[in-house]
Amino acid sequence: MATSSHSNPGPASDGANTTPPSTPPREQAASSLPNQPSTPGAIVTTVTPGLSPAAPQADATGLDMAGTDRAHALSSMQYVVDLADSVVCIADDLHERILQEIAGYNGRTMPDPQKALMRALTDDERLLRQYAHALYADAATFVIHDLKEPQHRLMVLTAEAAEKIRRIGVIGEVTGLVGGILLLVGSIARGQFSQVGAALEKIQLHNAALKTLKPGSTAKT
Amino acid sequence: MTRRVLVLVGVLVAGCASTGQVSLGEVREFANASARLGGYAELSRRYRDTYERELPYLSPQAERVARDTNVRRRAVFDDFVAIQKTLVLYMQTLSSLAGDGRYDLSERIDDLGGGLKAMTDSGLQQRHVAAYTGMTRLLTRAITSRYQSRSVDTMVRDGNADVQTLIDAMIVLTRIYEKANENERKTVLGLFNAEIPMANRNADRMLVTLAKVHLQNKTAEYKLIDRRYKLAQQGLTKVALGHQKMRENMDKLSSEETRHMLAGYVHDLNLIRDALSGE
Repeated sequence: MATSSHSNPGPASDGANTTPPSTPPREQAASSLPNQPSTPGAIVTTVTPGLSPAAPQADATGLDMAGTDRAHALSSMQYVVDLADSVVCIADDLHERILQEIAGYNGRTMPDPQKALMRALTDDERLLRQYAHALYADAATFVIHDLKEPQHRLMVLTAEAAEKIRRIGVIGEVTGLVGGILLLVGSIARGQFSQVGAALEKIQLHNAALKTLKPGSTAKT
Repeated sequence: MTRRVLVLVGVLVAGCASTGQVSLGEVREFANASARLGGYAELSRRYRDTYERELPYLSPQAERVARDTNVRRRAVFDDFVAIQKTLVLYMQTLSSLAGDGRYDLSERIDDLGGGLKAMTDSGLQQRHVAAYTGMTRLLTRAITSRYQSRSVDTMVRDGNADVQTLIDAMIVLTRIYEKANENERKTVLGLFNAEIPMANRNADRMLVTLAKVHLQNKTAEYKLIDRRYKLAQQGLTKVALGHQKMRENMDKLSSEETRHMLAGYVHDLNLIRDALSGE
């Protein structure tokens, strides 16, 4: 949160860096517009209360980090998301009022100065949306803040499980190896030397498989 | 000597073969469906690339803020994806641990039978060999199956708390992605909604037409992507719930009720995955 306040230069980046949403630069210009049913200036004043509980606190964390309680409160991801949502709300209201103003012309061509003003307000709206984006990015960073530990534990558990899979493989190979050895011993005992080659091959095969199932105590189950 | 070997094998095997076989098929299916769910990684990438998509629609002032946010989004992207990779690896390993293919030792037991047969001249009859081989097959299966189910049990019990934490983080992140996407949609479409009505001179007609086409395309694009956030969240919720239920029912995995429940989660996850991949 504090990061975002600092890293985002305000629309008029002269000081009001943490409360850009509440001070759109076109406010005065818009409120001085002639022939408007309700001026964009009025919009800004209507939406400001929505932001006002949040904005001063954002300002406070950005500038004085004295109160650890407050800092702790701000580190809450949900708080930052709520703050971002309220900035989006203000941008939505501003957008709505811009559209109303344009619709007021009812197909008549809008004078160029008025168009320029509408575009300036649209720029403000998009700037507000970028501040909301910055806050969402902060919130997302908070989410992953404490995840290293659970991730590490899960990786260890997964590695242990992989080792168990290997050991179960070992059971199979040992069984095959015992079969091969019995065949070898039996063949020799009976003088059936023709089978000795096949038995040795089996032993080698299972032995090789066991070696690939390393590390450690392969023969044990 | 032969008899001694056989007795030894028999004793060893019988000592370990005290429990019945546990059905791990549903566990395997669930872990498999969870590992293959999809959605999150793609939406993480989409979130990472927000700046590039928005860039043409931004004023210079807004672009400066956006550029800074872009740097911060990209700095944590690997961490976002690592969460999912950890979870996928866990699920894949669980699926493999609960797998049945690798535990089919028939071929190896046949080898053992062949070995025994070669020693039958020393008084052991053919039918004894067959009996021993059959029994060994059964008992070795029981050893591995018991070891296997115990391992699955340990993995699910010990892993559940961390699995829940990671999935919860993924769900929260997906919600933030969704909010950011909504904000992006308003940035992009909002510009056209304001500009098109203001451009009502004859000279603007061609431009307005093109703008309307672009607006239509963009509207359709955002409508499609909106659905994917919901699907991804639903899928992750199902994975979390399914794993939790599996953890709670580890001692009765073979019961009809538990198997049916896990199969239900698998069914839902497959539907969600199909919906995600079909769009």
